[in-house]
Amino acid sequence: MFLLAVSVDTDPELLLARVLDGLRFGSGYGALALALVMIYKATGVLNFAQGELALLGIYIAWALSVGWGWPIIIAVILAMFATATLAAGIERTIIRPFDPSNHLPLVIVTLGLFLAINSFVAVTWTTDLKALPSMFPKGNVFAVGVAHLTWSGLGMFITVLVMLGAVTLLLNRTKVGLAFRAVSSNIESAELVGIKVGQTLQFGWALAAAIGTLAGALLVPELQVLDPNVMLSTLVFAFAGAALGGLDSPKGAVIGGILVGLIRNVVVQSVSFIPSELSVGAAVFVILLVLLVKPSGLFGSSKVVRV
Amino acid sequence: MTPRTIVEGSALHRRVQGANWSLWIITIAILPFLVAIPLKPSVFGNSYTIGLGNVNEAIAWAVAVLGLNLLTGFNGQLSLGNSFFVGTGAYLTGGLVQTYHWSYLSTLVVVIPVCLAIGLIVGVPALRIQGLYLALVTFGLAAVFPTIVKLDQLDRFTHGSNGLNIESKLLPADWMPIQGTLEAIRKIPLIGDWTGTDTFSSRQNEAIYAYFLLVMIAAASFLLARNLIKSRPGRALIAIRDNEIGAEVSGINLSLYKAGAFGASALLSGVAGTMLAIDKNFVSPDELGINFAIFLVVGLIVGGSANLKGSLIGGFAVIFVRQWATQTKEVPLIGWELNGPYGQMVLGILLIALMFAMPGGIAYGLTKIRSRIYRVVPADHRGEAPTG
Repeated sequence: MFLLAVSVDTDPELLLARVLDGLRFGSGYGALALALVMIYKATGVLNFAQGELALLGIYIAWALSVGWGWPIIIAVILAMFATATLAAGIERTIIRPFDPSNHLPLVIVTLGLFLAINSFVAVTWTTDLKALPSMFPKGNVFAVGVAHLTWSGLGMFITVLVMLGAVTLLLNRTKVGLAFRAVSSNIESAELVGIKVGQTLQFGWALAAAIGTLAGALLVPELQVLDPNVMLSTLVFAFAGAALGGLDSPKGAVIGGILVGLIRNVVVQSVSFIPSELSVGAAVFVILLVLLVKPSGLFGSSKVVRV
Repeated sequence: MTPRTIVEGSALHRRVQGANWSLWIITIAILPFLVAIPLKPSVFGNSYTIGLGNVNEAIAWAVAVLGLNLLTGFNGQLSLGNSFFVGTGAYLTGGLVQTYHWSYLSTLVVVIPVCLAIGLIVGVPALRIQGLYLALVTFGLAAVFPTIVKLDQLDRFTHGSNGLNIESKLLPADWMPIQGTLEAIRKIPLIGDWTGTDTFSSRQNEAIYAYFLLVMIAAASFLLARNLIKSRPGRALIAIRDNEIGAEVSGINLSLYKAGAFGASALLSGVAGTMLAIDKNFVSPDELGINFAIFLVVGLIVGGSANLKGSLIGGFAVIFVRQWATQTKEVPLIGWELNGPYGQMVLGILLIALMFAMPGGIAYGLTKIRSRIYRVVPADHRGEAPTG
């Protein structure tokens, strides 16, 4: 019995529009969640600086495309390489010296990175609003009333699926991927069979930074605003996606991200008693609920600890 | 040089302690009069302003860092969401003073139970969520706070994204001898010259009154925290941090103490929020977001985790490093002028550097320096017959 009067918008066109929006943003969140999962899988650390690394990449892409007039796709690819190199350097200099089994100091280091990178971007490019051009052509694939599927929306969705496919292939079909999976399963055993743990983790950081930069370059044109705080709420949505999908499952991250996008754009917008400003709150609620009810998420492996 | 050994409880130890305490009290009493008219030192062509406003803000931050210290430093639960509690305290005080014309101090009657209750509510799910996952959830909590403040339904109390301007001022009563004390301090040689010759304006009087009020609230907070840590529940908190299973086997009720730690932490954070509102007369939603929460972690680590003096140092470090960075425009050997929020960058780098070089924080470093000068050793157990 429902005592609370809930009214839900059920206009089919509006609903379709919201579902399409949800898929579009959700695939962006899924991509960033994939980056978070790569690091979590390898090191067991939640990288709070992932969003800011992506932010740096986005600003590099902005500087190359808008500032120097290069094509946006080339700018994004160069930015991905730049952040990947930076992340590899960060891993080598300030992550590797810490004991990998003690996670809290590592998390605190990523918080320091969060502050430093965020402020570096604000100092270098000022806090003025900017706009990043989209990598996809303008216009609609189809439109039904208020609902329309844009080329950029379709492009984002496909890019993220291709990215997931590439990561899955990399992990399951290559030697680097095998080493990566070995390290994430057991660092000591991996070391004993001769895998270079440090370099493998460095590779994980670089890959995650490149994925995160691509995620940001996909999302920011859709958000239509670029300022140094743009990745903050995005990071919360991505964390929600990663938690929902299971923190150590790449497939789960993308699916979880899309589900969070749908929650943000369909559930929060359609249900009358949730104010639409509280979409970040909805994401936090998802994180809380998943961690309380099923900490391994939808696709993650549940953690068994011997005590 | 070998450090001098002082036996605990001896006359010399008491004299050293007495000297320490007198130095603290005299510094606390004279400091506001020295900086009420802001000092303007100039270094390498940069002019700095150090005023009582910074000191007052730093005192409030010290209490906020203390709140985080109880939870993270002593109990081992990493919280990135303490800005939520600070914000709740600041907005409750702001709303009650501005909308309902309460006095600042009386709002503590509401702030303390409300923040305690919110802390306990947050602490209950935290029982099942540990370590990194707790950091994740509380990170979300900090990110949500500004969006809650900006809700249209709350606009009447919070004034949304414009921030809440509190018009009511904290006025010192007529009997308070602020000018008289100023005159007395001017008679002290050397130090007296710093205070200038002008009589204080009403704004400076208010700042000095606020300072002493904040010092008293902070002293009470630190005293209560110290008593908590030294008592049975405090030992239980530390035992849980060091070995959860061991603590549980020893008969410590984990749920009770872990939720309680959240409650106590939220309570102190809420009080810190009230103190910030007293100091600034202004509360803004964008300041109380995730960056605030991370700055608290910076204060905790830089000052010294699980160290009460560290909280005090950490609060001052955050405020004064930020202040120093915003006012530094020219650095020797660097050709360009520095601009923008790079105080945040300095704090981020400082956090990473201290995690490397001095995980115990500045307080630990100071203790090490002191131990080179003198060392306090416990007295022999009297009444015990020497063995052998």
